[in-house]
Amino acid sequence: MHSHLPYVRHPEHENFLEEDWLYEAITETYIPLIVVFERLLNDGVDFRITISLTPTLISMLQDGLLQERYLRHINKLIELGHKEVDRTRWQGELNHLAHMYLGRFYEARNIFEKYNRNLVSAFKAFQDAGKIEIITCGATHGYFPLMEVVRPSIKAQIKVAASHYERTFGRKPKGIWLPECGYYPGYDEIFKEAGIKYFFADAHGVLHGSPRPKYGVFAPVYCKSGVACFGRDLESSKQVWSSIEGYPGDYNYREFYRDIGFDLDFEYIRPYIHPDGVRINTGIKYYRITGPTEQKEPYVPQWARDKAAAHAGNFLFNRHRQVEYLYDLLDKKPLIISPYDAELYGHWWYEGPMWLDFLIRKIAFDQDMIRLITPSEYLAENPRNQVITPSMSSWGWKGYNEMWLQGANDWIYPHLHAASERMTELAKSFSGTEGVLKRALNQALRELLLAQGSDWAFIMGTGTHTAYAVRRTKEHLLCFTRLYEDIKNNCIDEGWLADIEHKDNIFPDIDYRVHQ
Amino acid sequence: MAKVRKVAKKTKKSVTKKSRSLVVRKAAGKRAGRQINKEAFGIQETVIEQAKFSHPGIAYVRRMMPQELPHQYGKDKIVLQVRDPWWIHAYWEVNAATIERLKNDLGEDFYKAKRILRAYDVSQIIFNGKNAHRFFDIAINEYASSWYIDTAGSGRSWCVDLGLLLPNGKFIMIVRSNVVHTPIEGPSWITDEEWMIPEDMFARLYGMGFGFGRSSPVGKGWQQKIKKDFFSSGIASMASPVKKMAKERQFWLVVNTELIVYGATEPDAQVTVQNKVIRLRPDGTFTLRFALPDGKQVIPVEARSYDRVERRKITPIVNKETK
Repeated sequence: MHSHLPYVRHPEHENFLEEDWLYEAITETYIPLIVVFERLLNDGVDFRITISLTPTLISMLQDGLLQERYLRHINKLIELGHKEVDRTRWQGELNHLAHMYLGRFYEARNIFEKYNRNLVSAFKAFQDAGKIEIITCGATHGYFPLMEVVRPSIKAQIKVAASHYERTFGRKPKGIWLPECGYYPGYDEIFKEAGIKYFFADAHGVLHGSPRPKYGVFAPVYCKSGVACFGRDLESSKQVWSSIEGYPGDYNYREFYRDIGFDLDFEYIRPYIHPDGVRINTGIKYYRITGPTEQKEPYVPQWARDKAAAHAGNFLFNRHRQVEYLYDLLDKKPLIISPYDAELYGHWWYEGPMWLDFLIRKIAFDQDMIRLITPSEYLAENPRNQVITPSMSSWGWKGYNEMWLQGANDWIYPHLHAASERMTELAKSFSGTEGVLKRALNQALRELLLAQGSDWAFIMGTGTHTAYAVRRTKEHLLCFTRLYEDIKNNCIDEGWLADIEHKDNIFPDIDYRVHQ
Repeated sequence: MAKVRKVAKKTKKSVTKKSRSLVVRKAAGKRAGRQINKEAFGIQETVIEQAKFSHPGIAYVRRMMPQELPHQYGKDKIVLQVRDPWWIHAYWEVNAATIERLKNDLGEDFYKAKRILRAYDVSQIIFNGKNAHRFFDIAINEYASSWYIDTAGSGRSWCVDLGLLLPNGKFIMIVRSNVVHTPIEGPSWITDEEWMIPEDMFARLYGMGFGFGRSSPVGKGWQQKIKKDFFSSGIASMASPVKKMAKERQFWLVVNTELIVYGATEPDAQVTVQNKVIRLRPDGTFTLRFALPDGKQVIPVEARSYDRVERRKITPIVNKETK
């Protein structure tokens, strides 16, 4: 389960729209998942889930300002929840849903306070209990295959991430989730240097690898360096993603696009949408998908719950069939990798966490043909695997780099690459520094890393609401450029430096020298 | 804001909305060659990932005008990147001084020459400028600074020169790129003796890896069959999990009704509405808002004085229907 959000923190604004991405994800995905895992632990159910938490996400979850703002956000939702309970008093089929949401908001606040506002500690606790394995990702989720001409940046992304992980969880990361699964031959050597033992690639990364993989994607392969590569299984992934064959599109599930932030009267909803009057999602949605048309009927939680249980059973059934077939074919116990964006669970597919809960319990109690396992455990039990070189690949649109390299976003690379080369130049020129110079060098690397976030190119590629992504790219590059020039001309403006250190404050312990 | 003012002093380019949109437009016009059929591989992940960023970012634009990034970095260069097994992307920069030097060296020929990109297939060799397996030329205009190149193959290595092709056929290289390697577009033909499997079995595994299950094609031409199935009808089943986006609606109308009930009493009175206690504002007023469905709503509003001695009750009755 890949959990990522880009670093969005704007202390200079009281209310910043894009910060909502974090608050939404906390309320609708991370907390519901934490609740599921807590209950499983309390009930003594054994399970294994591999979760990637990106350094930017971890940083935001641990940031005091954002934690404070989340509390403000959830309190507003609670207030709205109460109003909704009152307003829908004569709408029987909706009123009980209003109660349901209010209950969820209170639960979210309770969980948030329970972990002292630091949700990372919840995931750490689950890892320490041996139930989940947390892996790392690129420091700011940079898209590596488009940094091929500036490999020092790839090294920096990985090293900064690994250090950050170690500081957060008290041990080195065993595995890494490549941003967007963007792989190019050779990265495994960088992983090895950082002590990382495995990574993931999309199906064609392994299937098009050289030589041919004997077990397809159903066993990991070793790269020449000894780092293992796990390939995604599209059959199981498809069951959850696909709109035709998959689960989230079921008519009984909650409709994403009927949020009261858009449906209700402007004057009423105004305090809960953006202060500039822009309507946003609140998370309160009263309707189910119902059918392929615009006609939507009220959500019925019990039907959705029953469906989630049935779908969990169906998923398990299909995995049994798949595994039986593979076992006959391969004469070896197959391994199936089903990775997803964490936001699928809860935010996009409201019933996702419930489905996961059902699935884990069914696997634990209703059968013994398959079991959940972490990549580390699998490698410990199966140390002998074929050596191949996986192919360049990603899990993005069309399977390669086009999503991040197309008309809408290809203009950023001349700038990003030039900045990378300059950063390498700085890192090599200053092997040991102190004081303001050291601060400036470290901040330069921060700005570069923040500019490299693949989210910006992604948003530009989708064509919707691109202005923020363009702005972030430009601003970080401009900050970097100014720092570069100031450092070279030996005229660092300490006041301005302090300003941007305060604003772009990610990775406090960063060391600029990793960029070479 | 302090940061913006100080950055403005340093940047040489002036800030205009026009120049910003020009940058984007220029980039958009750069595509060369044929259109690839849109494939849905990865679309479902894209849609879900996109849902993370579901709020419009309109609001911030009014707050800050970003400055401009430099148009040039001062070094002659051309950089290649791989987009997918068949396409590579080149961007370049040439100094005015370099252009001047070429004009001087070539004289009239400079104006008669065509600006081109020359793409060399340099697979498995160390390129010395002359030993490429083959090459092809792409004519570009003098304002272009990037290009998408269709290499019409996969699994090869490429190097690209930016240069001038003189009328007499002579090629003057201005700048040479790095070498890139495009991945193969299907399974490797290299097999490992120790980990051998029969072709049919691999065909099944390959198809399964792409989600075809047991019905994945085997036998002759299985790779072509899978490609055909996956990248055409396969698309529909892997398509977006979004059933229908609200934005795609045809002409439509939605009407809802709500009822506002409001009133006032002594600030220290206790008020119930439909037997439920409600809160008064400090000045003794109250406002309630209800969604109003079809049917009859009987709304008894009762106020009791602080010392419970006095009572008042008013009961509005509302009937709503929809025609």
